[in-house]
Amino acid sequence: MAHKPSLLIVDDEVSVARTLQMVFEQEGYKVASAHSCAEALHLLNNGGRYDAVITDLNMEQPDIGLDVARAAGGLKPKPVVVVCTGYASSDNSRKALELRVDYLATKPVDLKELVPALNRMIAHRQDLKVWK
Amino acid sequence: MSARNSTPPKTALVVVSDLEALTGFQSALTSRGYVAIIARDLPTALLAITQHYFDVAIVCSRLGEGGDGWPLAGVLHLVFPRAFIAVLSPGDPDVVTFQAAINNGVSEIYDQSRRPADIVGAIAAQSSGGTTSSGETVQ
Repeated sequence: MAHKPSLLIVDDEVSVARTLQMVFEQEGYKVASAHSCAEALHLLNNGGRYDAVITDLNMEQPDIGLDVARAAGGLKPKPVVVVCTGYASSDNSRKALELRVDYLATKPVDLKELVPALNRMIAHRQDLKVWK
Repeated sequence: MSARNSTPPKTALVVVSDLEALTGFQSALTSRGYVAIIARDLPTALLAITQHYFDVAIVCSRLGEGGDGWPLAGVLHLVFPRAFIAVLSPGDPDVVTFQAAINNGVSEIYDQSRRPADIVGAIAAQSSGGTTSSGETVQ
């Protein structure tokens, strides 16, 4: 049986997190969700391992989703990190570039772009593991 | 026999349509010990990708009639995931430019009006923790 990719969705808007969860479960992902940066950091810092992390940017504080991206980026193996925001600015998008975020999506999220993009990035990451 | 200087030179791809800038980058890279492969348009760049391993790529976001640099950067990131990919863009980058950079795996954006030698110096400093064409870590 094919490996079911794991995904952590981080968004303080429960409806957004739930919608994304349903979409990606339909796509065959095993999905966990967190509704704050603190909750996400707890999962990531306590053994939670995911193939991908999708995080909102503004939660407890503006741009605090970058803390989730930083924590996820420090994991080995590094998951694919996606930032979704309705408040992208030159400042926070530059920081996302510096953190080597893999994908920046603006809200409202275009699922027709995000879903295939995430599938592609995870498949590419798997290919790299095989070739290593 | 000495083991020093056994690290192979890094190879850089420069894709810029402006001939003066292209030669400026070639000269700056060569003087820093890189092997520089140059291309002025998309087809030439794609051919180079099939023939070489690149540690560094410098791509102009606007290649004129030669094509769009952003998707080329994305291809380079897919083929050479450990390469340092720099994109040259006019002026201060805005949100859309940063988004294009992130989504195409770009490492850094540089103002294309900067001197090639300055940009190459910045790239050499930033990419020094990468890997050589032999896959050897040079941190």
